[in-house]
Amino acid sequence: MRAFGNRTLVTALAMSVLAFLYAPILVMMVFSFNDSQYTGLPFNGFTLRWYGELFSDNQMLMSIWNSIFVGIGVVAISVLFGLPAAIALDRYEFPGKGLFRRIVMLPIVLPGIITGVALLSFYLTIHLRLSLYTIMLGQGTALMCITITEVFARLQQLGKSQAEAAANLGANDWEIFRQVTLPGIRSALFGAMLIAFSISFDEIAVTFLLTGRENTLPMTLWSLLRREVTPEVNAVATLVVFLSIILIVAGMYSSRGHANEREA
Amino acid sequence: MTTGIELRNLRKLFDGHGHASWAVDGVDMTIGAGKFVTLLGPSGCGKTTTLRMIAGLEIPTSGQIFRDGQDITDQPVTDRDMRMVFQDFALFPNMTIEDNVAFGLRVKSKRGAYSEAQIKRRVAEFLDLVHLKDHAYKKPHQLSGGQKQRVSLARALVTDPKVVLFDEPLGSLDANLRKIMQLELIRLHRELGKTFIYVTHDQDEAMAMSDAIAVMSQGKVMQFGTPREIYDRPANRYVASFIGHAHIVNATLDSKEADTVTVCLGNGDRVGLRGNVDAAPGSAVGLMLRAEDLAFADAGADTIGGKVIDSLYRGEYVEYVVALNGNSGVVHVHARTDLPPVAHGLAVALKVNPVKAHVVVQ
Repeated sequence: MRAFGNRTLVTALAMSVLAFLYAPILVMMVFSFNDSQYTGLPFNGFTLRWYGELFSDNQMLMSIWNSIFVGIGVVAISVLFGLPAAIALDRYEFPGKGLFRRIVMLPIVLPGIITGVALLSFYLTIHLRLSLYTIMLGQGTALMCITITEVFARLQQLGKSQAEAAANLGANDWEIFRQVTLPGIRSALFGAMLIAFSISFDEIAVTFLLTGRENTLPMTLWSLLRREVTPEVNAVATLVVFLSIILIVAGMYSSRGHANEREA
Repeated sequence: MTTGIELRNLRKLFDGHGHASWAVDGVDMTIGAGKFVTLLGPSGCGKTTTLRMIAGLEIPTSGQIFRDGQDITDQPVTDRDMRMVFQDFALFPNMTIEDNVAFGLRVKSKRGAYSEAQIKRRVAEFLDLVHLKDHAYKKPHQLSGGQKQRVSLARALVTDPKVVLFDEPLGSLDANLRKIMQLELIRLHRELGKTFIYVTHDQDEAMAMSDAIAVMSQGKVMQFGTPREIYDRPANRYVASFIGHAHIVNATLDSKEADTVTVCLGNGDRVGLRGNVDAAPGSAVGLMLRAEDLAFADAGADTIGGKVIDSLYRGEYVEYVVALNGNSGVVHVHARTDLPPVAHGLAVALKVNPVKAHVVVQ
């Protein structure tokens, strides 16, 4: 393929875009190993002290665990309700279907703060005590639409003839779902779960309003950062970056594994 | 009690964005057990919808479906024990070829009917039948289109159904492969003795394989008969023009006797034919003329006058395009290549094969 325009210029442009995106993260990662109380130069030497402090900081560990716990709950809610909704949209005709398809996207279009305020006043009205579960419920209802749209798109792409073939061969509804539909949508479902988890993990607008006594990681970092950027914050952020990379690679691997099979 | 499949006034309404239309509009048909029957017609004629109703994948708006005398109209697809071969193969991409074929033997409704060893043996036997023995452990995406279609066929046959349904199974294959698969299907039908109900828009395919053909148009069966009946004695203009490039010349019924009919063309030429026609003398009819049933002759009784306007060398024969006198229409004539060529513009007389020419009323 012919190179686009001036090669050096294009390379330089691409590099500067990448640098703009990732240099701050790289700086943060480097400083997480810096043997200094303050984030900033000079670089005094390599240390794992901040990671040690991180792992002995109970408040921090607790909030990481809370975030994971909320994330898992959010994924569970979005799959539990999103998957049947996607299948219903794909397979059945029902009144108000068109409206439902559009309205389901609303939570992700609405600013988080609006969703948060709405849910908060709702919880207060029904006297629900704020806790990790209210956060879970708030994020889960909003992120359900990711599962619905991802899985619905895949179901449409798959078409109905495989399911029809299975029924024609005598399979019951559960066998069709388990052996034909689910394998077909597995990578889309897995992708939606990853997206839901990672959005949930760093969500702050809805969470801020719905938090009770226990804090998630972003909330803890937020309160720490109001004082200063400590090396410990750099350390936890570095860990989160690695976790994200693992999730992205897992997501890519799972969708590649199914790419060949889908076209058969 | 009838054995086989019987359709009684089968109808299906499709509701397409506001305006509903009859996709299938009153189909009556009896398909004998063990026969190879083809539903033939252009796309949108209702053939696939009819097949899907027989399979139970589509619910009829009205009418009934009988199988061996028993009403199965409301029987769910899962219980019908008729296997379908889909146009897009519809193989399960996550399973091996072996597991695809074994699917119908492993479903819960068949549980206990076969041991795992029997399933393995049976699947191997049917993969052998469709010449795919060496591909058992591949995934569908590793096979070619023709191989996928054979897997689909093995998957349908392995459960030993009495009825096998085919929805344009060769539509996505290239011409050569299609010919090979046609022979395979004829062989399988002969060897297995099952009822095959086949949907296609390809008339050559239908003619070559079927015991009987239902020619469909706009949700209705225009004619149901053997390939020979459909080709030689089409029931109406639609069937005549759909099957085998027939030309239909407007004519008037002159006279009819026990087994001969005389028609009069627009230019005054009279042609006598064998056969019978359900119309009174004097009524307007269509004279169906096929290129292979016409020959150049000396002018005289029972010939049609015309003028050669074009000729095409086809290798096997020369095809002449002849405009009939009196603006009655255009016909094609096949002539042997070793005869001297006929010049354009030359007035000619055509002799009609009285056995093969046919009169259609509608």
